[in-house]
Amino acid sequence: MIQIKKILSSKYMVTLVWVLGLILIWELGATVIEGTKRSPENVLPHLHQILASVFTTNKVNGTQTAFQIVLSNGGITLLRAGIGFVIGAGLGFLLALIMNLFLPIEKILFPYLMMIQMIPILGMAPIVLAITKDINKSRIIIAAILTFYPVATNTLAGFKSVEKEKHELMYSLAASKFEIYRKLLIPSSLPYFFTGLKISAPMAITAAILVDTLQGGAGLGTVLSQSLKHATTIYIFWQIVFLSAIIGILSFYLMVLLEQAISPYKRKKKK
Amino acid sequence: MKKKRYLRWDKQSATTVLYPVIFGILLLILWQTQLLHKLLGADTFALPLPGRILRIIFDNGPTIIENIKATVMVAVGGLFFGSILGYLLGIIATVFPKWGAGGLSIASAISAVPIIAIAPILNNLTKDFSDVANVRSMFAKTIVVTITCTAAMSINAYRGLNELKPYSLDLMKSYAASKLTVFLKLRIPNSVPYIFVALRVSVPASIISALVSEYFAEFIIGVGRQIRENIVLAQYATAWAYIVVACAIGIIMYGILLAAEGALLKGRK
Amino acid sequence: MKKRTGSLTAAALTLALTTAALSGCSSAPEKETTIATTVAESTTGKETVATEGAKESASTGKYYSADAKAKDIVEDAAKKGKVGNWGLGNEYEVQALLSKYGQNTAFLSQAFDMDGFDDNSILLASAMTYNELGLIKNTYQGGYGYGDTVNFIDMNNEGVAMLEDNIFTTKEFASANPNTVKAFVSASMKGWEYACANPKEAAEIVFNAGSSVSSEHQAYMAEEVKKLVETDTKGNKVTELGKLDDEALQQTLDLAKKYIKLSDSTAAEKLQTLTLDDFRDASYWNDAKDGSTLGKPEKADVSIQLKWLPQAQFMGYYVAAAKGYYKDAGLNVTITPGGGDIGETTAVNSGQVDFGVTWDANLIAANAGGMNLIAVSQVYQRSGLVLVYKKNK
Repeated sequence: MIQIKKILSSKYMVTLVWVLGLILIWELGATVIEGTKRSPENVLPHLHQILASVFTTNKVNGTQTAFQIVLSNGGITLLRAGIGFVIGAGLGFLLALIMNLFLPIEKILFPYLMMIQMIPILGMAPIVLAITKDINKSRIIIAAILTFYPVATNTLAGFKSVEKEKHELMYSLAASKFEIYRKLLIPSSLPYFFTGLKISAPMAITAAILVDTLQGGAGLGTVLSQSLKHATTIYIFWQIVFLSAIIGILSFYLMVLLEQAISPYKRKKKK
Repeated sequence: MKKKRYLRWDKQSATTVLYPVIFGILLLILWQTQLLHKLLGADTFALPLPGRILRIIFDNGPTIIENIKATVMVAVGGLFFGSILGYLLGIIATVFPKWGAGGLSIASAISAVPIIAIAPILNNLTKDFSDVANVRSMFAKTIVVTITCTAAMSINAYRGLNELKPYSLDLMKSYAASKLTVFLKLRIPNSVPYIFVALRVSVPASIISALVSEYFAEFIIGVGRQIRENIVLAQYATAWAYIVVACAIGIIMYGILLAAEGALLKGRK
Repeated sequence: MKKRTGSLTAAALTLALTTAALSGCSSAPEKETTIATTVAESTTGKETVATEGAKESASTGKYYSADAKAKDIVEDAAKKGKVGNWGLGNEYEVQALLSKYGQNTAFLSQAFDMDGFDDNSILLASAMTYNELGLIKNTYQGGYGYGDTVNFIDMNNEGVAMLEDNIFTTKEFASANPNTVKAFVSASMKGWEYACANPKEAAEIVFNAGSSVSSEHQAYMAEEVKKLVETDTKGNKVTELGKLDDEALQQTLDLAKKYIKLSDSTAAEKLQTLTLDDFRDASYWNDAKDGSTLGKPEKADVSIQLKWLPQAQFMGYYVAAAKGYYKDAGLNVTITPGGGDIGETTAVNSGQVDFGVTWDANLIAANAGGMNLIAVSQVYQRSGLVLVYKKNK
């Protein structure tokens, strides 16, 4: 019992040291910038300044403080990111499945899936906008498009990673295609699927913020771009930088938790 | 628009190239005849016809090449440094599992910060790097791509270095192999396929982040910058010409990756 | 050159990365520390061009003398490659000025803050009289406090003025909903009239409507915008707000034809054939002013997309909404802020919003690209763009 506690505490220690190290480097940089630049808050403010901006009660527009603005817009963006992520992940898995079932489809689609990733959001947005006529729907669709690729590639790699012997075993057991997928392919592709999810969950957040900037309205990206254009306090920008990093990490760990909950296949032990 | 990839593979490779090309031609026909527009409900304004796009590409060859050079340099440079950094992180995480895991999560945390937030910060931070705007912009853009490529590689490298074949580690131990030998003979070779998994994600990501970082750069150059300028000015045909160029860069880089993967992983299976 | 750049970048990167190790983010601050030692000795602590810059500036002084001619300033800054603009369609006046004085039309991409001007990476920086210029001069939040130590070159005086904020819609929408357009223009102009008569109150209204710019800056902006709305390019007083000044518009079009560079040959050819009638229609404004011919609006729920974020630059619309002028005209108006990459021209053209505020040069470029947009009122009667520079002490 004590030992477990020890390990836990040491693990926290590690993270703590990492964080402290980063803070040290940041503060060092901020001190230098403070001495050399006229408006250091635009380049690298001190962490305590950012923290102060979170807790201040000064209103930056008619009704809200900087942090209230960030939070209320963060909720909107997070919701879009969530919907986009679920659609994207589902689509990615489905596509991987279809591509694995029908080889020609894989051959046809794969290069184009990659190509879609290459189309900058800016190019995609006017088309999606022209189709949906609604900026918020467009935002969700684009977030989904941007997140499905890691899931699709990783899951497909998972399907392909199954050893020939196992296939042959299933075949010798006269398993149907459905059974092969249910009992062999899908379970053994799960770790890969989750790798994809772990990559694309933070990406969904990034994507949601990115698509916010396309047009005015509400959302983290919108206020981020306002802040960057100095239409409001720059600390909103710095708060969003931290908030998006925190949400990104949380989304990553959410996927880890999900993986542990769903798949009993490997509890830390290597096969 | 679709370039054939000449890769010396087995018979299968013929269909690998042929299928997408046929599909592409079909798509182009649908596009040029505007059936695609009807299908999507878009107009020729938001989705200009391929003929017009091609003409713009041919009309502006030298300018486009100039922009491609800038973008590719940033993307490849960032991909290179990011991948090396990511792999090093993976190694460190394997050697010092306790300390490395923290580093991995920090890396993924940083990669979760949106590029559009990172790019302007770096633009400001690198102001003093050089007196030449082009050089300091290049520097800032390359760091942005480096950051985005690090996370994917570090996570995959870590997996590749640790998810070994059953009993292989025990076998090495029974030979009384040193840690270094285990690394050189077992872990690193084992991680090679994982490197390619990472690259398959980070090659497209490197190009995207190169394009986005160009939006904010001080020096006006690059395929991404041209896309943005033209979209904002409502010149969609020109914007699409650059989008096609961006796709072409992506496909060629991906093709090179596949060829390298095929060559390196040949004897494995 | 290109190659050297690459290897330079490479060398610096490896250095930064190895020293900072592990974390990508930390590499940048590390770099700053190495620079700090070299920078610290300069008195201002901001001079980045220690070696090369010194030679050139020795003869002329570091910046520009108070009585320097626009020609000399532009020539010097252009030769040093330190003229800044935001680009993205805002650069044509600057390019026209550069070529007026025989310079290359290249410019640096200016960020939306004035840090580049502040740290001298830009010597001749673009600024809007109502926005950036105020930030440079004043000391309130976000300001740089330069006061009278800066001076500027005015595009109107240089004869390269292009008209800016207008109200536009699609030709299609205007002909299908003429009464709506008239009602909208009429009510908006009432808003602008009230705003120009009471700039302080207008600034307050904008601030309360959700603008995030500080209220001091908002008040400054309102005063400056008033000047642009009430004075024309020649400095004469404008009595009829929002009228379409064909002479100024023609100058805008002429400059646009010269400096808007389009890679798309189809669009470039079309640009050269455009006339005033292709992008402005005065009839709606005329009827709106008349007032007697206003009928019932065909479409009551309309929206307007601004060119930029909510600020006093657009006070007329916020005032018209707050004072109920839109309601009186039978309209229910939604004001959408701009500032995203999907421009106001695209938003209006796709039918996502009904009206937009943009610069005439953007309208001209969009129409050359295939859109069918028309300005129905010209709110800003003179250019608000200036090039600002520091004076020698």
